[in-house]
Amino acid sequence: MKYKTSSKVRNVSRLKGEEIRKVAGQPFEWWGPSPKEARKITVNKQKALVDKRISLKDAVKKHIKDGINIGIGGFVNTRVPVAIVHEIIRQGAKDLTLSFQSNSICAELLAGAMILYPDHLNIKRVELAWWGYEVIGIAPLLRHLAANVMVQLDDYTNYGMSARFKAAAMGLEFIPVRDHGGSDMEQLNRGIMIKSPFSDKNTYLVPACYPDVGLIHVTAADIYGNCRIFGPLCTCPEIAMAATCNIVTAEQIISNESIRTYPNLTEIPYVAVDALIEQPFGAYPGVSYGHYWFDMEHIQMFRNASEEFRRSGNTVPLKKYYEEHIFSCKTFNDFLDKMPEPALRKIKKFDGGQPIIIG
Amino acid sequence: MPDCTPFEMISYTGSRVLQDNKIVFVGTGLPIIAAMHAQLTHAPGLGLIFEAGALSPILDIGMPLSVGDTRACRKACFMKGLCAVFELTQRGHADYAFIGGAQIDPYGNVNSTFEGDSYRKPGTRFPGSGGAGAMAANCEKTIIIMALEKRRFVEKLDFLTNVGFGDGSPDFREKAGVMGSGPYRVITHEALFGFDESTKRMLLLEVAPGKTPEQIQEKVCFKVLVSPGLKKMKEPTKEDLRLLREVCDPQGYFLQRKIK
Repeated sequence: MKYKTSSKVRNVSRLKGEEIRKVAGQPFEWWGPSPKEARKITVNKQKALVDKRISLKDAVKKHIKDGINIGIGGFVNTRVPVAIVHEIIRQGAKDLTLSFQSNSICAELLAGAMILYPDHLNIKRVELAWWGYEVIGIAPLLRHLAANVMVQLDDYTNYGMSARFKAAAMGLEFIPVRDHGGSDMEQLNRGIMIKSPFSDKNTYLVPACYPDVGLIHVTAADIYGNCRIFGPLCTCPEIAMAATCNIVTAEQIISNESIRTYPNLTEIPYVAVDALIEQPFGAYPGVSYGHYWFDMEHIQMFRNASEEFRRSGNTVPLKKYYEEHIFSCKTFNDFLDKMPEPALRKIKKFDGGQPIIIG
Repeated sequence: MPDCTPFEMISYTGSRVLQDNKIVFVGTGLPIIAAMHAQLTHAPGLGLIFEAGALSPILDIGMPLSVGDTRACRKACFMKGLCAVFELTQRGHADYAFIGGAQIDPYGNVNSTFEGDSYRKPGTRFPGSGGAGAMAANCEKTIIIMALEKRRFVEKLDFLTNVGFGDGSPDFREKAGVMGSGPYRVITHEALFGFDESTKRMLLLEVAPGKTPEQIQEKVCFKVLVSPGLKKMKEPTKEDLRLLREVCDPQGYFLQRKIK
């Protein structure tokens, strides 16, 4: 069915026909709720403006279940929901599907937990565009998972994944995009080439992506979950509107009066937010515009432990990281308390004092 | 002529390729350095897009180390998210894509997904397409940075991640449903390539001083076409090197790395 229409990409690369048939021959399947199921969940929600604040522990206990699709917000090292990911690792979850455009530390932290504690946390599949650390290097744990066929991957571009969340945010089943065509992603991912019903031209469609739970870190929010984001929005508004439920951490809680004074600044409305946690440094060691820059040394420290495992199979440094920084901490603040004060001061300074509107 | 590192040569050549008053969609590393150098010299009117969401920032608090970095947003004219900036490219607002990758073939197709074995069980899995697939599809011209090595310049890719001219057939990109005109330049520290108009195959335009087309061919698996107007690559002046070393990348994050 997938090849009724296609570009001329077959046989340009060395990708084997047998593999294409195996991967693309699977019948289409939603990797999270279907559009209809997602709408039903939303319709059945209470819509009142209520205080959404809850502890991170209770939020994860309530919303993170085995077998769900987790949409990870942020982008590479930017406004990544590290505090929420730590709590998910503490509590454990199985058969997860992850969906994101580009991520570094959150995806690697979950991958490392799966490698070290497979009965406690594991990932079944990942729909993504990119997984790595940019300047800091490749993602060793992705490389390990992929080489050992421990997860199923479904590849799109950064726009492809963003458009898939956007389609879900619009309540659609799919969205046409101008990319993927003519690449091997066209042959393997769950999108499909069609002829435009209007011009007869080849047009690529990607399926919407509806996560069960979105994990989002924002600059500020009021107690009802109206969220402000400064700096790049990444794909956070789209992921939040696509997911059937969202756990949101905010650098700071601001007044509803401020939200109502500047309603244009609300990037995620309260209706999409189910659990809200005020968590300063919630994206640490990632960057949160207006508050802090990323902590390259800390990311390197975790990556070095991951790389040592990939190269030698030695799990000791990696285990030590998880024991010291996640499992021996009751909360994310316990983890932050272990960070050297000068490191946190330095990343605050490196932010450059970007102006944000929080009053 | 002062000595320069391979990465300085690549950044300087990248800068030369960028015209003034255009928009370039940049990835982390050398593309940012090339674009910063261009802005400081011949292209003050060059605008930058960073894929996390910023359009035309002023990079006055240092070189961004990540495309979502606060530094990449500094004093931008417009800041939204990935959807907004990639839609700028689909709509025709981005003149250049500046991408890298692990392998390139004669038609400017690029692999950044895996090498060796198969998609489901890759010998070496790379990060994936990221923004490059959408940039190569929809920015008007694609500029590719690649180290000149036989294992990278291959006849056939293990995986085609970022679309170039496909199999070289004239209607490949139209059939693929993509909007940009395709690969424009391939930059290495020893050679600058373009593409032959009729065959869509890589064409040697310039070689580094002291190098011959034969020496370049030795580092490429496929047959390299040589332009009848073959030129010498221009080298950075002292002032260019000062800008690259002291203004663009003073910490040497990218310029001081060694080619393996």
